[in-house]
Amino acid sequence: MDEQTRFVLRRIFKKIPSRNIEDLLKNWNCLTADQLRALDYTRPKWTLVENIISFCEERRLNLKHITNLEMINRIKNPDSDTWHTCQLVEAQDDALFVELTQFKEQLKAYLEGVIRHISIKIKKHEDEALWIRIAWGDNFSKPNHLKPTYVVHHLHTSYVFICNLVAKHKILLYQALMVSTKHGSIKDAHLSNRSLTAMRTLLLRHYQQVFPNNYSRILDEGNTCPSHPCIEKEHAAHEERRDQLASEAFGDSPTLKLETAVYRLETRYRGNVKTTFSDEEELFRGVVKFSSTSLLQSLRHCVASGDFSYPIFLLLKTLTQI
Amino acid sequence: MALLTPFSKVPELNTATILLVEIEEQLQSKLADVIVHYEKEFNVNVRLARKLPLPVENKESRPRIDLIVFIVNLLSERSLQSVESSLNHLHSDYFLGKVCFLVTDARCGSYTRDRLASVRKLAASHQCPVICAEPRTADGVHAAAARLLSILKVSAGMSPIPTTALYLSTLTRCSATSDLEED
Repeated sequence: MDEQTRFVLRRIFKKIPSRNIEDLLKNWNCLTADQLRALDYTRPKWTLVENIISFCEERRLNLKHITNLEMINRIKNPDSDTWHTCQLVEAQDDALFVELTQFKEQLKAYLEGVIRHISIKIKKHEDEALWIRIAWGDNFSKPNHLKPTYVVHHLHTSYVFICNLVAKHKILLYQALMVSTKHGSIKDAHLSNRSLTAMRTLLLRHYQQVFPNNYSRILDEGNTCPSHPCIEKEHAAHEERRDQLASEAFGDSPTLKLETAVYRLETRYRGNVKTTFSDEEELFRGVVKFSSTSLLQSLRHCVASGDFSYPIFLLLKTLTQI
Repeated sequence: MALLTPFSKVPELNTATILLVEIEEQLQSKLADVIVHYEKEFNVNVRLARKLPLPVENKESRPRIDLIVFIVNLLSERSLQSVESSLNHLHSDYFLGKVCFLVTDARCGSYTRDRLASVRKLAASHQCPVICAEPRTADGVHAAAARLLSILKVSAGMSPIPTTALYLSTLTRCSATSDLEED
């Protein structure tokens, strides 16, 4: 194990909290059972890390194993860095028939064809997610394993989640993804968040969706029934309808904590007042910015309590429809 | 525009109905819970609404409403505006002692003094009483419920002493005179 490998290993362990190390090493499955038993987790972290490094040297592990370790850790704790979403559009006719092996081969072939030194690792997780780790080098220098890019994609969906990508490599990665998934173009979906799980839940609709129907919803435990038969709500039907609309738009309890949303507004002034806006041909342009600690939850609450008129609700509903 | 009228329905035996109108829907459910458990001598029906006009669908099933209480949260401008617009949907017969204003948070903040003054002016012009309530403690809710029930007893005709809502209102109605400018 050379100096660079040791350095990378130390840097990886620096970011992992001590309590996660034991599980991580078990999942990694590269150290023997004896070695795992011999590790003393009560010692300070740097001692522990040095012991692990010496065990790795005994087992003659190389950079491939180390990057595997990093990938396992990242898959387990995806929510530590900011993820950006991209959307693949213009699917070609055979985009739905792309198989896993085909995708892997094409992606690797494209990227390796453009950059001589690059390290690509693709793993399929049990929930159908493809995790791709790319360490970029260029035609003259070795791949930089300290700043790898992670890409998460579910095959045959149109969303790609990317973490840690610099502008220099953006075009290459986009082109590689377009070629391997057989889509015509890729665009930035302008959605970023630290929590990959929440973004995925929202965009891939992994939550319990509420669909519009003509009948009232079945009351479940969380619903507010008046506690006494003598108490009656006049607007109960309206309340239910509003709650139904709110759930259709934002889900029952949205997990994604959005902090800001920016709308670009282009509209015409409508009115018969003789003001400076009398020029009917010109559009009125503006930017509307919403911020909150958890935007989806607060919008859902406002819609359910009837604070928004219906046209505004239709505009806000588009927030979850990328 | 269909106005809510007080005498268009026949009253039920030994029952009084109170309507709590509050746009925020916070205090009304707490008050409702206390009111229905408080009174033992006759049945009290409580109806909760955000604002008037009430939905037309409930018109047939709605009993005769004996007292309407408008709950105004003095910390929010919207509360007062909603009450002012709801008043337009009431038949003028209601203002003969069957309407009452309940204000909360009268002691907090700087805008509440002006809002309280406008509520009092509004109540005085409609000849209705204004009650101040403390919504955050259980004791405050109980006290407000007790006062509302005493007014409800008279307006529903359940009072042991023969008296009418109109007579009570002449005693309890708010007078927004210039004594507010003392301090």
